[in-house]
Amino acid sequence: MREVALWASGAALAFFVTAGAFLLLANLATGSSGENLSPDAGPGKSGPALDLDLNKGQLAFLEAGTGQKLRLAVQNGGAQDFSDVNLTLEVSSGNTAIPETRYYRHTLRTLETGETRNVEFVLDLSESESTNAAVPSAQSEPQKLIEIRATTPQGVSAVRTAIIPL
Amino acid sequence: MHSRRRRIRPLLRAALLTAIVAAAAGCAHDDELSIPPLPATEGHVNPGLGAEARPLSSGPGYKGAPSWAPGGERVAFLVDGYVVDRTVDRTVDGNEATRWTTRDFAAEEAEWTGDEALTVLGATDGGPGSLYRASGEASLAVEKVASGVLAVGPGPERGQALVALELGRGEGGVALLQDGRVERIYKGAVGGRITGLSPSPGGEKVALAVRPVGGRLANELHVFDLREGKDLKVSDLDDRGILGSPQWTDRGIYFVAGSDAVVEEGGEPPYDLYRAGPEPGRPEPAPGVGEDFVAGSARVSPDGERLAVVGRLNPKSPANLYVLELSTGDFAAMTTNEDMEIKAGPDDLAWSPAGTSVAIVARGASTGEPEVRAAPADDLLDDFYNLYEVPVLAPAPPGEAR
Repeated sequence: MREVALWASGAALAFFVTAGAFLLLANLATGSSGENLSPDAGPGKSGPALDLDLNKGQLAFLEAGTGQKLRLAVQNGGAQDFSDVNLTLEVSSGNTAIPETRYYRHTLRTLETGETRNVEFVLDLSESESTNAAVPSAQSEPQKLIEIRATTPQGVSAVRTAIIPL
Repeated sequence: MHSRRRRIRPLLRAALLTAIVAAAAGCAHDDELSIPPLPATEGHVNPGLGAEARPLSSGPGYKGAPSWAPGGERVAFLVDGYVVDRTVDRTVDGNEATRWTTRDFAAEEAEWTGDEALTVLGATDGGPGSLYRASGEASLAVEKVASGVLAVGPGPERGQALVALELGRGEGGVALLQDGRVERIYKGAVGGRITGLSPSPGGEKVALAVRPVGGRLANELHVFDLREGKDLKVSDLDDRGILGSPQWTDRGIYFVAGSDAVVEEGGEPPYDLYRAGPEPGRPEPAPGVGEDFVAGSARVSPDGERLAVVGRLNPKSPANLYVLELSTGDFAAMTTNEDMEIKAGPDDLAWSPAGTSVAIVARGASTGEPEVRAAPADDLLDDFYNLYEVPVLAPAPPGEAR
């Protein structure tokens, strides 16, 4: 009888010790796999090598018209410094019958690893005069599209598209 | 001392055995943890309509009025009023949309009238419009082939289209288009304005939606005999107007109709699916769809045996694509939409020529707020109305989504 009790208590002790050890290991494993999920991760780093951040709250204040300011954060989350980060910004209408596209460019001479730089563009979001008047107005929802691309000579790139109801 | 060692030995044995079992189980669990979740591929995956729906277009633009080429390999559609077409097989190299008209052309509808010709109805803005023949290829020029056009519908045979014409004040007629050109104008006139038309399965008659002179709605269903030029009013819907073209099937003439009166407590006006016979009589609610079903648009399959319907099972349920098997009354959802907006315009769904899939137009629900996506604008799907191909191979039991 005593031997049975000893077997049972031994088994329970070993179970709890092993279970505790594996719970600890599982938590460590979950943390590291989450870090690896980010796209475009540079070697040995957790974030994307090149990231663009557009503040949604700021976008809500944009209006149809000239002189609209848009601030953009460019971040180097990779392991290597970048030189000549080219930023191209295209403003087009959500109505593709309006072919007019406005282009804006900016170059960051350097962007060191871990560095975040803010870039401000002053945009013309006024409606083109070449609006297709023949298209029924109910079909053409007033929208502006702002597509931003960041590229480096090393071939690293990032793209964001903002859809702005105006 | 010796007996104490003997007592402890089972304890150690049990602990060791349990540790081995637990370790083995722990290793298996650790393998599961190492499987990474699927990466998000924003702009390329659209689970909103169901796993089988496949995008046929992407990027910005107000799209609609899909039309499959007779061979089934291309689909034409409108984008912000102009006409484009695209290869259905998106694995083909260079699968860019081909423009058929200039961007400033304002079209309402485009129908294939041959493998290499599109017939385009110019914007009518409620009145009669002009019909154009577009040949695509290198030229974006269009050739005007008819004026005073009220509506365009499929013809009795491949490469043909039927056209409703304004003949005089308060009178309409029907013409046949062959390869994009007016082949003949049928004798006889129809009292009122024709707003939609569909040939009978045999091709000798046409079902017409007609708005009577001085009327506000197309609340009359007519049958026009192409050989004899006789017009027969078969149904009067009083305060309910027919939406789009009636669909003449082997099992009767189906159409969507409803009142444009403002609905109390908000919401959409209830449009219902009806069935009528080719002889005068009262139309009946279409059997099989359920009394709460709210119809948006309907289109008969090429074999005449099924009806594709965009609608809601009840006013509060999401819009989906359904297929009604006319011989059995089986009614099944082909999409599993929860929160996408499916366009329900009369021309916003089209069967493939083989009858194996239906093209619909949908977009994600708009929040009205600025959105930021990690993809180029041309790759985005949900943010704009885009075309989707939904396979329709065989009807599933009612209530079971496919």
